[in-house]
Amino acid sequence: MSEIACVSGVDLLMDYLEGALAADVRAALDAHVAGCERCVAFIESYRATPRILKQVTAASLPADVQQSLRTFLRSQGLVPPGDW
Amino acid sequence: MVVPTVEPSDEALAARAAAGDDRAFEQIVERYEGRIFRLACRLTSDTDAPDVLQETFLQVHRHLSSFRHESQFGTWLYRIATNAALMHRRARARRAAEPLDAFLPRFDAQGGHAATPAELQLPARADELLDQQALAARAREAIQRLPESYRDPFVLRDLEEMSTADVAHALSLEPATVRQRVHRARLMLRGYLSDLVGVKP
Repeated sequence: MSEIACVSGVDLLMDYLEGALAADVRAALDAHVAGCERCVAFIESYRATPRILKQVTAASLPADVQQSLRTFLRSQGLVPPGDW
Repeated sequence: MVVPTVEPSDEALAARAAAGDDRAFEQIVERYEGRIFRLACRLTSDTDAPDVLQETFLQVHRHLSSFRHESQFGTWLYRIATNAALMHRRARARRAAEPLDAFLPRFDAQGGHAATPAELQLPARADELLDQQALAARAREAIQRLPESYRDPFVLRDLEEMSTADVAHALSLEPATVRQRVHRARLMLRGYLSDLVGVKP
């Protein structure tokens, strides 16, 4: 595996970032990325994607939903009666 | 003298709850309700998540005696919650998944990236460039638009940070399939963020 195009790099990116590639493939990709500004930029945004989505979808439990859950579990006799 | 209180482990609480200790079950609920709600929002929607939350703890209680300690209690509970979410979604009218293929990266004839480095990097800054609330709403929308076969592995692995093996088990998929789908979901969502910051992916 001597020459790699960006498109193959994108296909292999997850394995590349998680160290799951064979040594020769990894070396070929390292060599490509070292000389490719586009891939460096792409990798940055690829890595950022799960981080950003994780951060903005971290919903917290609203008090009314929490209250309904407790009322429900009490009505089913699964938790002790009284204040929670 | 202050005696430090040692929190009982999940497994100890589960054993007590299985033996009929409702205070122990209460503690399990307190420990996990926030995390399960967050998971339910990601796998269904804000409006469906409260039902999924109730269903999850009902199922957990029902199956406590079958918890075998072969996996961690948290993993077991997440698996029940995932099933509850998927069952709930199945019961709803099926929404035609809108493929996000248009958001996959573009290449030129030689297989090189078609966009410029600046354009390719920009989605990484979506959280600085966009209003947080608007971004949160659009992000939820994007995740919901993903075909379910991509959405579930992505949510469980990347957003809930479960291991590939646990995701594979929860979704009855091969680990290699989980990895392929997570990768493709990331590519689509990256393109979606790119579109949000005004760059054609």
